[in-house]
Amino acid sequence: MWSEELEERIRRRIVLLFWLGIALFCILFGRLWYLSILRAEWFQERSERNRVRVVFLQALRGNIYDRNGFCFAKDTPRFRLILLAGSEKEGILQRIEGVLGRKVTFSLRERGAGEMVLLEDLSLEDVVKIEENREALPGVLIETYPLRSYELGEVFAPIIGYVGRISAEELKTLGKMGYRTEDRVGKSGVEASYEGILRGGEGYRRVEVDALGRVVRVLDFRSASFTRSVQLTIDAELQKASYEALGKRNGVVIVGNPQNGEILAFVSKPSFDPNLFSRGITVQEWSRLIQGTSNPLLIRPVQALYPPGSLFKILIALAAQEEGVVAPREVFFCPGYLDYGGRRYLCWKREGHGRVSFEDAIAHSCNVAFYTMGLRLGPEKIARYAKMFGFGEDPHFDLLGTRTGLLPTPEWKRETLREIWYPGDTMNLSIGQGYLLVTPLEMYLLLCAVANRGKVYDPHVLLRVLDAGGHILQETKPYLRRTITLRPQTWDTIIRGMEKVVTRGTGFNCRGLPVRLAAKTGTAQNPQGREHSWFGCFFPSDNPRFVLLVLVEHGGDGSGEAAQVARRIIEWILRERGV
Amino acid sequence: MRRDCLLCLVVVLLCIVGVAAVYSVDPLREEGLVAQSPFGRQLLWNFVGWGVFALFRFVDFQWFLKRSWIWYLISVLALGGVLLFGESDETGAKRWLFSRSVQPSELSKFALLLFLSWYLSVNRDTLGLWNLLIKSAFLVAVPAFLIFLEPDLGTALVFGVLWFGALLVGGWRAKQLGILSGILLGLLFPSWFFLRDYQRKRILAFFDPWQDPLGSGYNVVQSQIAIGAGGVFGQGWLSGKQAQLRFLPARHTDFIFASWCEQLGFIGGVILILLFGILFWIILDTAIRTRELEKKFFASLFGLMLLFQVSVNIGMNLGIAPVTGIPLPFVSYGGSSLFVYLACAGVVARIAWEAEEGEKQRWT
Repeated sequence: MWSEELEERIRRRIVLLFWLGIALFCILFGRLWYLSILRAEWFQERSERNRVRVVFLQALRGNIYDRNGFCFAKDTPRFRLILLAGSEKEGILQRIEGVLGRKVTFSLRERGAGEMVLLEDLSLEDVVKIEENREALPGVLIETYPLRSYELGEVFAPIIGYVGRISAEELKTLGKMGYRTEDRVGKSGVEASYEGILRGGEGYRRVEVDALGRVVRVLDFRSASFTRSVQLTIDAELQKASYEALGKRNGVVIVGNPQNGEILAFVSKPSFDPNLFSRGITVQEWSRLIQGTSNPLLIRPVQALYPPGSLFKILIALAAQEEGVVAPREVFFCPGYLDYGGRRYLCWKREGHGRVSFEDAIAHSCNVAFYTMGLRLGPEKIARYAKMFGFGEDPHFDLLGTRTGLLPTPEWKRETLREIWYPGDTMNLSIGQGYLLVTPLEMYLLLCAVANRGKVYDPHVLLRVLDAGGHILQETKPYLRRTITLRPQTWDTIIRGMEKVVTRGTGFNCRGLPVRLAAKTGTAQNPQGREHSWFGCFFPSDNPRFVLLVLVEHGGDGSGEAAQVARRIIEWILRERGV
Repeated sequence: MRRDCLLCLVVVLLCIVGVAAVYSVDPLREEGLVAQSPFGRQLLWNFVGWGVFALFRFVDFQWFLKRSWIWYLISVLALGGVLLFGESDETGAKRWLFSRSVQPSELSKFALLLFLSWYLSVNRDTLGLWNLLIKSAFLVAVPAFLIFLEPDLGTALVFGVLWFGALLVGGWRAKQLGILSGILLGLLFPSWFFLRDYQRKRILAFFDPWQDPLGSGYNVVQSQIAIGAGGVFGQGWLSGKQAQLRFLPARHTDFIFASWCEQLGFIGGVILILLFGILFWIILDTAIRTRELEKKFFASLFGLMLLFQVSVNIGMNLGIAPVTGIPLPFVSYGGSSLFVYLACAGVVARIAWEAEEGEKQRWT
């Protein structure tokens, strides 16, 4: 029924509706307050995250110099073409070909933030062409990137190493240290060993993208920087001379200073061109590298194992002198063989050396004399002396990937071969054959120990670390690893013997040089073919400043090829560096 | 100030906000004033819409009211036509007629307002009886159901709210309304099973949008980010990152409030809410002042519709109401909605003017 009361109720309802509305408006107001005043900062940050993408630019690597300032490795700027995220692809590729005026194969490599690398290592001409046609190529950007380039790569590759794109496994461990998928990382040599020093600061480019991921504009930019360089103890010219001295032969040359452990030359041949790796090695190039038996990627001075041959006789001679198993003025008789335990052990000289004194035994490398000394010493004493000189132990070299040789002992033979040690094993060991395997670096360290009369410094290639301005940040101090105390006359006798190697013995190829030279030749038997030829020496022998070790693979007699190579290197040193 | 002039002023301001907001997110803005651009169209619709406003402001309201059966039938037929011949929009819902120029569901709001106020006032003697409830419920349910089938849950909901509002201001007793609300709430749970998948997702997303910020919660999240990032003073006119870089979906329709707030901040948002508040107050004030029942009903129901749409739309922009395709009156891009609201505003302006004239006559 229509009534006054109903009319009043309708009025009240409208008033109720009014207050309901006010309440709702208040709720909206409150919520707006909450979002845009109380939580504003949080939402602003969310909004930033929506629209800002960061593209990281590769860090620059520091340069690597030799001790005289020659630059082995540096980053050179290269240009590459990238397509920004969200750009239309097909048409652009055609237009780029149109602009360059030729067919090109695009790499189309995806990388972070949706960007795509189209072309790498652009020539300057192409860069100019593309820059001139910027308008026609939206979303295309030219970016500079560092390319590692190596001077005389083949000569220095074993020591300098190379860089390559970080692998998935490396990323797992290095990811925590800020490495990213596109980064370069040192893979071997100094590049890998001093990665932490060489890696510079990375740059970035912050871009604003829209909801579809298209780049609207570049917000800011920081170019990559390099922070530190390293200077090596290597003498680039000496290394080059050594490399050339090897000629066509494969082998190893190590030259160093025994008085502080600095390595001056570190040649491993055959070698490879590290530049291949820095621009991305192709499958063909890679298969060419790993095909065949010569294995250029093997860093021979520290990774390859050889029998030391007669070079090991230095150690036997030292032990025999020091232990007094050789009487003063004792004379050995060499008929060309030694019969022991019903077997005949041959000297390298079939007709025999006849009567030889201790020093002559070294000079002529008489096997029979060393069989005798080895038998008198016994395997335990030989092993003790070998350990004393660092055989079978970490050489503390500052390059990664250094191996240690195999020093056989009766215990070792029992455990691994399950056989007892025969006197024949001792005799083989005494002339550096049999189970014994060494790296060239170990032999080099033996020579250093003799040259420096028992003081052995850690071999190293890092001379100093420089900052971006070339100021010295840090210098490597020689570290005295071990002092081998033997009687002075032991040292004297051995060094005299080694001098006689040159003047009267197997080192005849180095005779007549204007310096006092102490040397030892070696011939390492090799089941795969011709013997390896060893030659180790130091000079001047009264105050040695150079230790030189040469190994020529399949070079035959130690007195032959290795000695000739050594002679060329010594002559170069005397001529160019002086003593 | 005269009520009808004040109302006119507030509506003009709202329309200006609307045109400006549409301009700020217009993708064709760079190309200047183009007829095809959202901004150009919104401007055009405003001109036409103000003609409609003037029409209802100066032509006698009774003429339309007495023929509301006809409007009602036309709107039901048009809604049926949408289901048969209609065109779909991006979401796949059929909402349009005549090559996407007319949205009958919007226009039928006006028809329903007229029809409900006429129907209730004609039956004033039986107000408060269950009989009328059944009849009116049926009459509302027909177009509402057609709209629900499009599907356009939001507009269907507006119809439901109008019907409930009609009973509320129609003077139903509190007890009756209580029983009715109980029944409706009881129906709410089974209705879940009649909703489309995307509708359910939206409701779930409303409860926790950050669960799936790139999927179903995307628009809620982006809209809140836009509003929050605006801060107190906004990021500046035409420089809202969320809207300009198109992270914000439906920038010129459903989420226009968010893009407005991103540019002009808390201040801009408050001004907009205040304008709606003032408008709401004028409308309800008019409803109280006028002495004729049908005008009371029309004004208060229009007020309710405005309140509902504004609070649901802004609420969903602010993340406190589920996402339903309900446009923001006067502001959102779209001709049909604008015409309906300007027509209604014209009617209310006339009612306000008549009421003032009546009061003057009584006093003199």
